[in-house]
Parts: sequence; C-alpha cells; structure tokens
Amino acid sequence: MKRFASLVLAAAVAVSMSACGQSSESSNSTSTSTTSAQSTTAESSGSSLPKLSGDNPVEFSIWITTNQQAPASDNKISKLMKEKLGVTLNYEIITPDKQDEKIGVALAGGEYPDLLGVTDQNGRMVTGGAFIPLDDYLKPELADALYEHVKPYWNRMAFDAGNGKHIYQIPNYNRYYGEITGGTNYSASGFWIQKAVLADAGYPDLSNMTLEKYFKLLEDYKNKYPTIDGQPTIAFEILCATGREWGLTNPPQYLAGYPNNGGVIVDENNVAQIFADKEIAKRYYKFLNEMNAKGLIDRESFTQTLDQYLAKLATGRVLGMYDQRWSFGNAHDALVAAGKDERTWVATMPTYDGIAPYYADRDVMNINQGLGVSVSCKNPDLAVSFLNEIMKEEWQKILSWGIEGEDYQVNAEGRFERNDKQREESKDLVWRSSNKLMAFLDIMPKHNGSFSDGNAFSPDDQPEEFYATLRPYDKEFLAKYNKKTWRDFNNQPPENPVYYPCWSIPLQDGSEAQMANKQLTDTSLQYLPKAILADPSEFEKIWSDYVAAIGKINIKAYEDAINAGIQDRIKNWGN
Amino acid sequence: MRAKTLALEKNRRSIWSTIILQRELIIMSVPLLLYKILFSYVPVTGWTMAFQNFKPSIRSMWDQEWVGFDNFVKLFTGINGERFIRDIRNTLAQSFLTLVVSYIGSILLALLLNEVKNVGFKRVIQNITYMPHFLSWIIVAGLVSTALSFPSSGGIINIILMKLHIINEPVQFLSNPDYFWGIVAGSHLWKELGWNTIIYLAAMTAIDPALYEAADIDGANRYRKMWHVTLPSIKPTIVILLIMSIGWILEAGFEIQYFLGNGLVIEKSETIDIFVLKYGIQMGNYSLATVAGIFKTVVSIILIATANWISGKLGEEKLV
Repeated sequence: MKRFASLVLAAAVAVSMSACGQSSESSNSTSTSTTSAQSTTAESSGSSLPKLSGDNPVEFSIWITTNQQAPASDNKISKLMKEKLGVTLNYEIITPDKQDEKIGVALAGGEYPDLLGVTDQNGRMVTGGAFIPLDDYLKPELADALYEHVKPYWNRMAFDAGNGKHIYQIPNYNRYYGEITGGTNYSASGFWIQKAVLADAGYPDLSNMTLEKYFKLLEDYKNKYPTIDGQPTIAFEILCATGREWGLTNPPQYLAGYPNNGGVIVDENNVAQIFADKEIAKRYYKFLNEMNAKGLIDRESFTQTLDQYLAKLATGRVLGMYDQRWSFGNAHDALVAAGKDERTWVATMPTYDGIAPYYADRDVMNINQGLGVSVSCKNPDLAVSFLNEIMKEEWQKILSWGIEGEDYQVNAEGRFERNDKQREESKDLVWRSSNKLMAFLDIMPKHNGSFSDGNAFSPDDQPEEFYATLRPYDKEFLAKYNKKTWRDFNNQPPENPVYYPCWSIPLQDGSEAQMANKQLTDTSLQYLPKAILADPSEFEKIWSDYVAAIGKINIKAYEDAINAGIQDRIKNWGN
Repeated sequence: MRAKTLALEKNRRSIWSTIILQRELIIMSVPLLLYKILFSYVPVTGWTMAFQNFKPSIRSMWDQEWVGFDNFVKLFTGINGERFIRDIRNTLAQSFLTLVVSYIGSILLALLLNEVKNVGFKRVIQNITYMPHFLSWIIVAGLVSTALSFPSSGGIINIILMKLHIINEPVQFLSNPDYFWGIVAGSHLWKELGWNTIIYLAAMTAIDPALYEAADIDGANRYRKMWHVTLPSIKPTIVILLIMSIGWILEAGFEIQYFLGNGLVIEKSETIDIFVLKYGIQMGNYSLATVAGIFKTVVSIILIATANWISGKLGEEKLV
C-alpha cells in the first residue's frame, strides 16, 4: 500500500511538472489564435487590405521602446480602438536602457510580438530578420496612407539588411507634412538651467554664453539657496546612465560649435573623426574637474541609474545639467504636474571663445527607428491594415489631440482649441494614463507638421494653443525675455548637411566598428568620471592614461564605417 | 565451497536486484533526471555556436559560417583579452571572498546558536536571519544601493557612521573600486547567512550526546567542546558543501554587479557574466558569449574534479 501510494505521488509530481510547462505555452497561443481565426480575405498583398471593424475583434501584441507607461485598463482611446477597429493592443514596454539586452535575447529566441516598435539605430532587429519588408504593401491601391507617408523619402527610410533596400520600419518622428510649424518647443540638446536661477539673477542676457558664465550663475544661486524644499541643492548634474552615455561624451562638439553628429566631428571635406581624445574634449573635462573641486558637481552622477537621475531631476533641486529635452521629459512633466514651474529649465548654449553656437538643428527624421510588422505576426495583412488606418488623419487627430468635444473643440475658423479645464488635464499624468495612449503615440508614425485643415499635428505645435496653455509663471518668464516660444532661446539652424546626422548611421552587429564604438564608450565611462572627480593635480595623468587607452582601440574601423556611411548618404540622399 | 558460491551469486544479483528493490526511488528521480538532461546536456549542442560566426537571421545551425577558433582568439587576446582576463580575476576574487566570508560566518553562527538553551530565542534569531534569503537579488541590490549612497539620498550606513562620529564626511562606497569586492561579499553574507546555518545546525543535532558527556568528564569547557566535538563531527558536511561551492566559483552572481556596477568601479566589478551581457548579448555577438560560457563550464569541471580528488586523498568525504 505504501509503495503504491509513493508511486502515485511520483507520477503526480511528474505530471504536474509537465503541466506547468504546458499552461505557459497555451497562454502564449491564445493571443495569436484570435488573429489566425480571422480569415477574412486571406489574400496576402492581393487586391486590397482586409478591413478592420468593431465586429471582428483582433489582438496584436506590440513591443514599444519608450519611457512612457502602458495605458490604464480603462483608457478611453483603447476602448475607442476596440469599438471602431476591433483592435486590442497588448503592450510590451521596454525602457530604452534595457533595449540592447532585450533585442539580444529576442533575436536569440526568434519569437517576436506582432508589431515591433524599436528605436535601435543600428537596425539590429532588421538585420536579425525580425521584420517583414513592407514594400509590397506600400502601393496606392493597398496601404494608401502609408504609401503617401513614405513616398517622398523612400531612399532615406529604406534599409539594406543584406538583400536589397526595403522599408521595414516607418519612422516615428519628424516626417513633416506641409509647413514645419513645430517652432514652439525645443526638443534637443542644451546646457539646461533652472528658470528660478535666471529669475533670481535678474533675467541676464543669454547670448554669448560660456561655460564660465553658466557655472557662475549656478554657483551664485547655490550659495544663496543651499537647500531647496528641505534637500541640498545640486548645482550641476551629469548624465551618464546606461543608454545615455552621450550625456557625458557629447558636449565637447557643441562647445566647439559643431552640430550633433554623435561621436564624431565632420569637417568641411565631409571627413569624420572622433573628438573624444582631442583638445576640445580635454578642455571641457578639465573645466568640470575644477568645478568639482568647488563642489558644484553631483558626485553621485556617475553611480546612478537613469531612473535615479530622472527622480533627482523631478525633485526640483538640480539647477543645471547637459541633456536633451526629450530625455528628461518625464522629470519635466512631473515638476509641472506638481506645480513647480519655476523649477523647470530653459536651454542655454555655451561655447568656447565666442564661437557661434550650433546646438539646434533642423528636425531630422528618425530613420532606423519606428514601427513595423514582425515575422511572427500570424496575419500581417491585418497588421498593415491597422497601421494604415492609424496613419489616416482621422486617427492621427484622435491619438494626438483626443476626442472632439471631450478633449478639444473646433472654433468658428476651423482651428482646434482647448478650454482651460482641458489644458490643465493634459498636464496631469494620471489623466493621461486613462485618456491618451502615450506609449503608442511615442512610437507610431506621425503626421508631423500640419493636417490638411491647417491645424498643427499636436496641441504643443499649434501656436495659439501653445501660448494659451502656458502657466502664468511661464508666460511671465517668456515676456521678461521678450520671446514667444521656447525655441526662441536657441540658434536659428542652418540647412542640415546632406549626410546629417551621423549618429543614425547603422553599425552592423558583430562588426569591428560596433565593437570599437562600444569599447570607446566603455573607456570613456571608466576614465572620465575618475578625471572629473580627481584632485586637480591628478587630472593630467588620468587624461594621458585615458588617451593611451583610446589608442589601444581600433578607432579606425569605427571612423571608416562612419565615413562610408557619409559617402553613401551624399550619393543617395540627393532628394 | 558453498560459501564461495553463495558470495558469487550475491554479487551478480546485486545490481539488478538493487534496482528492483529501490524502484520507487528511481521512478521518483526519473522526472528530474529528464529535466536535467533536457536543460543541462541538450543545450551543449549549442557549443557549435562558438566555432561559427553566428547570425540570428540565419535560423539553421548548420548554415552558419564556420570560423574555427577565431572567437577564442578574439576573446583572449588584444584589448578584449585584457578585459576578459581582468573579468576572470574579478569573478574569482569576488567568489572566493564571498565563499570565505560566508563559510566562516555561517559556521560561527551555527556554533553559537547551537549553544543557546532558550529555544524561543533560538527560533526568533533563526527566523530573522534566514528571511533575507527569500528576497529577490534585485530588491537586495536596490536596498544595498540606497543604503550605501549619500545621506541626502537615504544612505543609512553613512548616516549611522557620521552620527557615531567615526567619519566626518560621507564615504562614497559606490564609486570606489576597492570597496566593491567587500560590498559583494557583505551583501551575500547578509542575504544567505541564516539559510546556510540551517544545514550546519541540522548536522549538529545529529551529534551523539555521549561525545559531549565524554568531553565533560575530560574537563572540557564550552569552547573546547565546540572545537573538539562539534566541529570535527560536522566536518563531512563542511567538506561536501565546500567541494560543491568550488564548482560554483565562477558564478559570482549577476544582479549585484549589474545593478551597482558603473564606470568608476568597473575595473573591479565586471564579472564574466556582465562581460557576456555587454559584449555578447547587447551586441548580438552570440558566438563570443558562447566561448565565455564554454570557458566557465570547463574550468568549473576541472576545479570540482580537483577538489574532489584532493578531498579523497586527504581521507575526507568525496562527492563522486
């Protein structure tokens, strides 16, 4: 009897262990089984794309790389999407600093969500065979809206993954329609400084800004107010978390008056060279070293993660940092939601010795980043049909402005506008979670610029809306500086060079160039913090160690790859 | 004559009859055996990736480009090699320090707890010390990161040290490479101390009380009893666990180094696993990552076999 009982138990253990494995299998298959049950037309790239409607519910799993959160379960736009298109999205949100690993793991596994929204410049998912080419769908009789979207920029959007140039991803930002009206917000680099600091210093003139002047402003304010809201004031914060290492390595090129080409500076003969070991870099880090000796640099900058950095920024006690506006968006929104508008920042453009600043550039389209359909999607026709619907103006307006009557009104001249309640709501993070699809909005292809009725794509770009939505503090601040928008704080950008920007030149997975780039970043992260935190007398020694370490890296492979990319673009991006 | 025949028969029957007699035990171990074969032995066919230039877009293993020992050369020489050798050193150092600290700590605590007469107090201490074992490493890494940061960010270690006037200025634990190995060993100790003492305490309860009485008669005090009776009795347990731990010496843990590692401490914090993550998976270089994995396996097997053999030669317990 005892033996029999133990035999039964052993069998039970064996069965339960295999059953555990089974249940996870079955939950994976339910999400795609509904799409396969959707037969509809079942012709691939046939006469027309299948129509989406509320009667045929379909689920798509979607990978989105973003800092935004997934929407709340009662989100009204999600409900609308289900009602009108029958589409439910199952979000898989990956934060940007985890993207590299996730891509590595996903490519090894070979199974992907139906829709992929990745922002990896090197196109690893494309060369890894995760995306399907969309060329066959991009015809006027099939995906008409998408076709219009990509037609003028085919050469730029197409990517050569080893078998010809095809379009795999639709870029997520800056494909402009009509007039570029986005002249209100500045989204790129700067040495940001708190509005309260400038106000306290009497709204000083920000032209001909230098590092010395910038840090003097920070120092004076910090000495006057050693604590903010009960916590110690931090004068300058350095960003160098994983995925944002450029916060530490990019400034020298701006200080020397060059635009953002990533890790290289391109001279007038269109030849690129790294600047990490040059005099312009040494000057910047030496200056930071001196500032650190005065106690103006946050020593924790080098040991914190991106989340900790953003959290610190959101407390409002950081007076200045070098960063890109889109990168600290979360912290900015948190401060605005808490009503601390004076603790948000404006951009300044310090340069060496009176060189003209070239921080702002003309908005570049984000090629090699964006949304596409994966090879694991069971019903690609339906997925493309969904993307096509989203591209149409009706859905662009819903996703960007909201639902007419609830989130905005159309006035007598046909312009979209919002009342005060709607404006305040749009700043509230909790409201957004239930009323806007922030994550999807971040990655989807956008009708940037203006719609056919003249309204701007986003409320932030509509000039009268922008001005009306400003809080009183901001209105006063802009008035004191005699400026109308945040972009007025920056330089007028000249026409971008054809090959610009070099940071989006893809480096092949496993290539010498990619390895060299990574080694350069790692070496910078190892020596530069040491150099900045060290005693000023030790700076020279650490710097020469750093240059020697760079000497061991195969920099030539990296520079060659960038130069090849530049030449390729000059040849093919003539349009 | 008859005795010899009987002995011979017994030998020949013994293996098969043993199996029949112990069939329940064997049936119970079959599922786990299959699990082990499936997850530990079948993936060894993946070692072919180390000899190829693996591209995930080509799905079949046999269509990849073969490059022989190229990846091995890439891993161990040049700037990569310098980095990898340094990482091996870091891994070994961290594991070894953790091993020594954990062993001494848990044996000491077990000895002390064994002497406690008040059962209630003993239970309470045991419960408190083994609770951290159930926390995930990510949580522990987060706790350690906050505890060691500046007072303004909630660093209680700095706050306590400053209040006790041991230091005047907060110590930057997380940006000093020399502290990193200590931080890893310390975190492991805090987390696993209570759990490891359980095994030793269990072994100690199995000691024959007659030995203690004999020691009493010989006039031994508490400490002598510990040294001459308790410790030698749990020696087999210690040795077996030590041999097993030596096999794991290249697994220095992953979460602490991942979470707390940064540019400043990377010389001392980067381990083989982190290297594989950064230069293998994050760059899609699966072949390089596989070579590092093979290295770990081969070295671990050699270490375990050596430790086992040495232990046998010294007359102690053997694992195999």
